[in-house]
Amino acid sequence: MQKVLRKRILRDLKENFVRYLALGAMIILCMYVIISLIGTADTIITGSEKFGRTHKVEDGQFSMFVPLAEVETEQLSEQGVELEEQFYLDYELKDGSTLRMFKNREKINLVAINQGRGPESADELVLEKRYAEEHELDVDDVICIGGKDMRICGIGCSPDYDATYKDFTDSSISSIQFGTVFVTEEAYETFLSEEMSVKAEEYVYAYRLEGMSNEELKEWLGNRKVEAGQIQDIYFQEYWKEQTKEKTEFEDALDELEDGAGELADGLKELAGIKTGLLSFDEGISEASAGAKELQSGVDEFADETQEFLDENFEVEISNLRQMVKKEDNPRIGAAAADQMINKYGGLIAGVIVLILFAYVISVFVVYGIERENSTIGALYALGVKKRELILHYICLPVVVCLIAGIAGFVIGFESIGKSTIMGNCYSYFSIPYMEPICPAYLYMYGIVLPPVLSAVVNYFVISGKLNKPALVMLRNEHKQNKATNMKLGKLGFVAKFRIRQMLREARTSATVIGGMFISLLILMLGLDCMTMCNHVSTANKEDTKFEYLYTYKYPQPQVPEGGYEAFAKTMKKENMGYNLDVTILGITDDNPFFEVNLTDNKNEVVISSAMAQKYGIKNGEIIVLEDEESEMHYAFTVIDIAAYSTSFYVFMDIEQMREMFGESDTYYNQVFADRELNVEAGRLYAVTTKKDIEKAADVFILQMKPMIVMMVGVATLIFAVVMYLMMKVMIDRSAFHISMVKVFGYRSKEINKLYLSGNFYIISVGAAICIPLAKKVMDLMYPVMVSNVACAMKLAFSWQLYALVYAGVIVTCLIINALLVGRLKKVNLAEVLKNRE
Amino acid sequence: MYLEIKDLKKSYGEGGSYIQVLKGVTTGVEQGQMCVIEGTSGSGKSTLLNCIGGLDLPDGGSIVVDGQEIVGLKAEKLSDYRRERLGFIFQFYNLIPNLTVRENVQVCEYLSDTPMHMDELLETLGLTEHQNKFPSQLSGGQQQRCAIARALIKNPKLLLCDEPTGALDSKTSRDILALLEKVNEKYGTTMLIVTHNNSIKNMVHKVIRIKDGQISKEYLNETRVPAMELEDL
Repeated sequence: MQKVLRKRILRDLKENFVRYLALGAMIILCMYVIISLIGTADTIITGSEKFGRTHKVEDGQFSMFVPLAEVETEQLSEQGVELEEQFYLDYELKDGSTLRMFKNREKINLVAINQGRGPESADELVLEKRYAEEHELDVDDVICIGGKDMRICGIGCSPDYDATYKDFTDSSISSIQFGTVFVTEEAYETFLSEEMSVKAEEYVYAYRLEGMSNEELKEWLGNRKVEAGQIQDIYFQEYWKEQTKEKTEFEDALDELEDGAGELADGLKELAGIKTGLLSFDEGISEASAGAKELQSGVDEFADETQEFLDENFEVEISNLRQMVKKEDNPRIGAAAADQMINKYGGLIAGVIVLILFAYVISVFVVYGIERENSTIGALYALGVKKRELILHYICLPVVVCLIAGIAGFVIGFESIGKSTIMGNCYSYFSIPYMEPICPAYLYMYGIVLPPVLSAVVNYFVISGKLNKPALVMLRNEHKQNKATNMKLGKLGFVAKFRIRQMLREARTSATVIGGMFISLLILMLGLDCMTMCNHVSTANKEDTKFEYLYTYKYPQPQVPEGGYEAFAKTMKKENMGYNLDVTILGITDDNPFFEVNLTDNKNEVVISSAMAQKYGIKNGEIIVLEDEESEMHYAFTVIDIAAYSTSFYVFMDIEQMREMFGESDTYYNQVFADRELNVEAGRLYAVTTKKDIEKAADVFILQMKPMIVMMVGVATLIFAVVMYLMMKVMIDRSAFHISMVKVFGYRSKEINKLYLSGNFYIISVGAAICIPLAKKVMDLMYPVMVSNVACAMKLAFSWQLYALVYAGVIVTCLIINALLVGRLKKVNLAEVLKNRE
Repeated sequence: MYLEIKDLKKSYGEGGSYIQVLKGVTTGVEQGQMCVIEGTSGSGKSTLLNCIGGLDLPDGGSIVVDGQEIVGLKAEKLSDYRRERLGFIFQFYNLIPNLTVRENVQVCEYLSDTPMHMDELLETLGLTEHQNKFPSQLSGGQQQRCAIARALIKNPKLLLCDEPTGALDSKTSRDILALLEKVNEKYGTTMLIVTHNNSIKNMVHKVIRIKDGQISKEYLNETRVPAMELEDL
């Protein structure tokens, strides 16, 4: 029997080709977007892992005050630690961008050459690919670094700079501003000797562990002491001198006391040698001399004890380890893959939701077909055809449509116009090599098997209910009267009553339209939330950044430079949905004009930045816990206020309280904020951040997300329009007999439109008024999860104008579709009345 | 007796809208007989046919078809009963619109292990030349012939016809009845025809008249008028 009925499927498909084409196209579009997203995510995740493996990505890195001695590196090597120096120099170029220069690597974080070759002579370099793209530089071009012209012999990337953040605390990548270069050892030494870099050489080591854990290595490195005198950096020496000034003064005083006591003893000894003959005087001098000797011995003893005490309490040796960052905590490593994780899971869920929607939309058509064929089905039942045979038949078409559309969407999504487009977005943000697209087995299942299976499941439940009636009921074409449609409508006018009853009669179809609208709005809200967040980051970062320059010190000056406001910054970690993000405790003075913060003298009370409050959902009065990974300590603070500052995750506290809390001197600082450029030697600094840098970084978000936002808005509008058009058309088709009848009665087109279309307009108007805030609320709950790894403010509130615009968009779409359906109403033939009366 | 009905009762509704349609009907039909159930509108004739066809469930009584009690059978068993033994013809043809005549008949061919020969049946019903047409391309009579072919292809032992000529003009009605007569003769199919047309009773073996849910009269025709000679159809 199915063999014969199958012929019907093709004819059904042919008869309703436009309808199924539209639905198929929507499924193709959605599958294309989703498969592109997931396929890209899988390619990037697997590709990054492979890239890391083949190019020997580090297990971590550490920086030292003084390079490790050969014996130390040998000791580490014996303990199973593979090390490679990855010292670097930063150079500022004429356009204001910074290039970080490394020696070419041999053991760890190997450079992948995408174009050209590696450096072979002292005037060649390999340029990081994203920087090259942004600056339109190519192989054989020449760039001037540190006053030297260097030829680009290759373009590539390294696994330790997958996200080319200049500093670990950067929140966005700006390849216009920053990139890396790799040169020969000879070239590097030349650059180093010419001292043209913006700051001193950084002694960074990358490591790979085999016989030691990160913790053990950290402990080992922490025990490497270095005499301050060994550190050649003049700024360090100055800094160290300042830090140990009190001890030196004390030692000088002791020396003076010792010298004084010695001189006194010597003087008196000399005096005692001169005999005056005055017995009592001579005896007195001798006694004084003996006393002075005793004093000298006592002072010497005191000086020795005091020196011992000073040595014990004022360290003469410091730990050589400055910073250690594990691979997992390094925001530059694996960022592309982490970014794709969210796309992958978001895509998987979105795909299921959209497929269920379309499967349901198709089921509405099938149900409509079943209703039209009720008596035929009844006759078939009477002849012994069984329900499961008919279910199988009716499910066939939706399953076939979803299967074909799913395969088409899968293929397109996986081909160049799909995945490559989305991968292109990834390539244009992260510094990763070209990755061969992969398609894991589950994706085949998802793209090819899931659409027909979901369609079969949804349609089974819907169709099964419809075919569950007894043969006689179907034969007689009896319809269960919905009690709601029989409700008394009081003194309402005829048109109003008619519309209400029509709406109630078509409640199921209307619910599908509303469901489609809700899902479309969810997609739209995803795009708009993304846009709002990016816009907010861009505008608020500009507004909230009141300073022009931020100097982050490696070796602070004894005196805060004039015009600057000192601050003490300490980076901590705080977990957000599985991601450990950087949070900075910022100790500031009361008179700092760049932050409007009311601080208290209580060490436990802090003010947090609005960016942090939004990201972590923290409110006043809450207790926050921050982790200091270096000391493995946790700090708990009570939030007393939230300051308007969107640029960073800051925890503000009084600088004096902070110095005390972290055991620093009363004058300690490591950052200076200023409203103008200050005269600070580059060698003292880790970084200089300008307001312009922050503004440029903020704009990167918008540039990066724009294509996705446009795509989301487009897809949402299409889904809404198609679902709405098809469902409303079904409503008209179902009412064809009645429409034909009212035409026979003499109703005019306008009146018929009022009866059959205006009701839909009201449903959409009211539905949109409910769905827009609801979809916004749902997306506001989902979106932070989707971008949980992005360290930026999370203000998602829409302006009322944006809400109005979305609402207007829905209404305009509805009006356009209503206008299209007017034509459909006109097409309903008067003969319909006769045709349906067999 | 091929069909044996005893004390069959059927009612609808509750309270004020309660109505007893069949009030203890007892009757029977021999194998190979053509039988007309006649009565006025609302007399219960269609309800009786639906109960025999397992489309409606009686409140009480017994229906035995070819030795099988069908009252009390579960839906699945009733479906098997219809599949294996019955053919149904309705006033409206209820054909599948986007299947051709042949395909519409084929739908039911697959329901039987011993179907009739398709081409022979189409030939018998005069459908050979229309077999590749869709229902919308056929006249009412041709559509009803297609519905008959669909019902007969399974080779049923019992054919239930509910107002088979109700929607047809008199000439076409006569043709259809002649066809039924021919099928009865050729294949020995037992037939129950519900009709309110007074002439049809003259062509069948047995007539059962129902009035107010009870059999008011039943008799065997001593002489049968061939369908083609029926008047006032």
